[in-house]
Amino acid sequence: MTDVAVDIRNISKRYAGHVAVRDLSLAVPRGAVYGLLGPNGAGKTTTIRMMLNIIVPDTGSISVLGRPSTASGVTDRVGYLPEERGLYKKMEVRRVLRFLAELKGVPPKVADKRIAEWLERVGLKSGEKDWGAAKVDELSRGMQQKVQFIGTLLHEPELVILDEPFSGLDPINAQVLKDIIVELRRSGTTVIFSTHLMENAERMCDAVCIIARGEKVLDGAVSTVKAEHGGRFVALALANGDAHTLAPVLGDPTLVRRVDDSNRTMEIELAPGADAQRLLRTIIERGATVERFELVQPSLHRIFLDKVGAAGAEERTNDHA
Amino acid sequence: MRKLWATTKREYLERVRTKWFIIATVFGPVLFGAIAFLPSIMAMHTKASTDFAHIAILDATGTDLGRRVARAIEADDAYAATGPMLRIIAPTELTVAESLATHEVMRKQATGYLVLDFQTVAGETARYAGRNASSLTDVQRVQSAVRKGLLAMRLEKAGIDSTQVQELTGPQLSLESERITDEGRGGSGTVSMIFGFAIAFLLYTSIMLYGQNVLHGVIEEKSTRMAEVIASSVSPDTLLAGKVLGVGGVGLTQIAVWVVAAVALLRVRGPVLAKLGVQASSLPLPPISAGLALLLVAFFVLGYIFYSALFAAVGATVSNEQDVRQAATPVTLLLVVSIIFLEPVLLDPTSRLAVALAWLPFSSPIIMPLRMSVMSLSPTEIAGTLGVLVVACAAAVWLSARIYRVGLLMYGKRPTMREVVRWIRYAG
Repeated sequence: MTDVAVDIRNISKRYAGHVAVRDLSLAVPRGAVYGLLGPNGAGKTTTIRMMLNIIVPDTGSISVLGRPSTASGVTDRVGYLPEERGLYKKMEVRRVLRFLAELKGVPPKVADKRIAEWLERVGLKSGEKDWGAAKVDELSRGMQQKVQFIGTLLHEPELVILDEPFSGLDPINAQVLKDIIVELRRSGTTVIFSTHLMENAERMCDAVCIIARGEKVLDGAVSTVKAEHGGRFVALALANGDAHTLAPVLGDPTLVRRVDDSNRTMEIELAPGADAQRLLRTIIERGATVERFELVQPSLHRIFLDKVGAAGAEERTNDHA
Repeated sequence: MRKLWATTKREYLERVRTKWFIIATVFGPVLFGAIAFLPSIMAMHTKASTDFAHIAILDATGTDLGRRVARAIEADDAYAATGPMLRIIAPTELTVAESLATHEVMRKQATGYLVLDFQTVAGETARYAGRNASSLTDVQRVQSAVRKGLLAMRLEKAGIDSTQVQELTGPQLSLESERITDEGRGGSGTVSMIFGFAIAFLLYTSIMLYGQNVLHGVIEEKSTRMAEVIASSVSPDTLLAGKVLGVGGVGLTQIAVWVVAAVALLRVRGPVLAKLGVQASSLPLPPISAGLALLLVAFFVLGYIFYSALFAAVGATVSNEQDVRQAATPVTLLLVVSIIFLEPVLLDPTSRLAVALAWLPFSSPIIMPLRMSVMSLSPTEIAGTLGVLVVACAAAVWLSARIYRVGLLMYGKRPTMREVVRWIRYAG
């Protein structure tokens, strides 16, 4: 047993006209929740599909759970939830799930037992109503999403790969999914998910990899990534109406390098060599009422913007969130 | 292997469970039963009103000829609701009797009337007038009854006793006809023609129906985005194979049910109709040897594989139902060609056109069975066309698998022909 669940080495994938992934290497630690971050069109889905052997990289190698991703039987130990989701509409829920389990080699009896447990757990089966016997298209979209989660996990995979799992989820299902991910992590399952929503990654990931335009920008444990970029940020909150009085202070290039004003709080990056204490003193001398002044680690969002920059994001604005 | 089994099973079971399948499978035999029974039963009911036996016999011969003819007519039509009405009249009353009988026919109280007079006894003429005078069969039956009656009367006069006369004039002979063409005996002419046409049409509709079933199956998987979930567990080739096999299994099941029902219906048709008291011409089972049946199945299976592979490839290039019709048109046209040339091939199965269509893989699955059921072909020709078809199938499957592999996860605009060619070259 290696301690790496997925080991990607120097993979590239070229399509007619553009390069989707360029010389990408990354290692996903076993048992971690791993975030694959990047703007739309960065190559996240292509990378994930290559891990699952749905498409084959032009160059480079991928090993999944200690074996080459092309080896037979490897995908049986992996659960996958694609970004675009759907089920056979005319099929009975229980039969779809049984089919998905059978594809992964779960014996029918075992599958039936797990299906029953899962349906009850996510509230699709109760005393009065059993949605398992209904056809897929009789279910609401939220219910179908739950069925899809179940289908991904029925064979109790060692590695779960979720492509943009939170896109299109209502808050209730987002919570269900988050709980499931946390529980998987607790039981030792490795979870990889891609997202362009940094808040989710921030809260859930042990480690991340940021990619943009098919290339890796940075990767590593979230704590390390933050530490490498940390110490130079201040979160500032002022009493109402005081912000305009600070314009000269925040505009001082010897103190402040950049301000991200989110209305209630501002994230301030200190200028090189500037001192946080001097900034605080200056603000108070200006007569502003400080409600919060805190040295913080930068958010993943901040790091992401720093590293990828406006140029890294594709112009496409088809945001899923 | 397990995955192929799982996908095949799903394709098969989900289709067999649909209402559509159950209705179509049951409806086939019901329709066939209607074709086998209804015309005869309806003919029986219509016959009762325009019955050829329901005629007036005006016997002005002064002999018992009228009685004998009436008996012969009754014997000819045992199922008749009403037999002939015999009137013995004097020769002088004939004109009056005839005009009375004419009125009866006009008022539909009789089908017609038959006049027997001295000329009939002399063996010269008898006269018949009636609504069915233009029906050759009816007139012939009346004529034969008159002949029989006259013959019996003469034989008795010649001193042969009546029971012997009955025996001698009793036989009801029926003539069975058979067609002979330039190519020799046409088998039992019409039967094999109808059979050949039925087979070709059944093959055409089945291949079209199940080929399109594969097409829509592929599109369903694409449009519901199920394709990607499955692709993470199963290779596209396995998925495609499972789909083709599963849907093909459904087709074979349905055809098997239809054929078994049809054969069973034809078997029981005679006895059942006899019990119902309906006289009907026999509908013989076409003579199919086990070998021919096997060849027909082989042509269906290969034709289905060829077309379903093409349809699957088409399905992989489109991402919504709207584009389907346009994209599938070339494949559909290819199949329709065989149906357009059905009649010329049937009329002359040895023509150059027929031979060419038999060798071309896109029409051979329909044209070859058609030709095989109307004429005997050399084993070399059968083996040759089968061989070409097998090769074409392999090529179609190979091509389709490559397009399918790439197309399965492609959405958006339909690819151009050039892009598809690139898919074929780079797939894998």
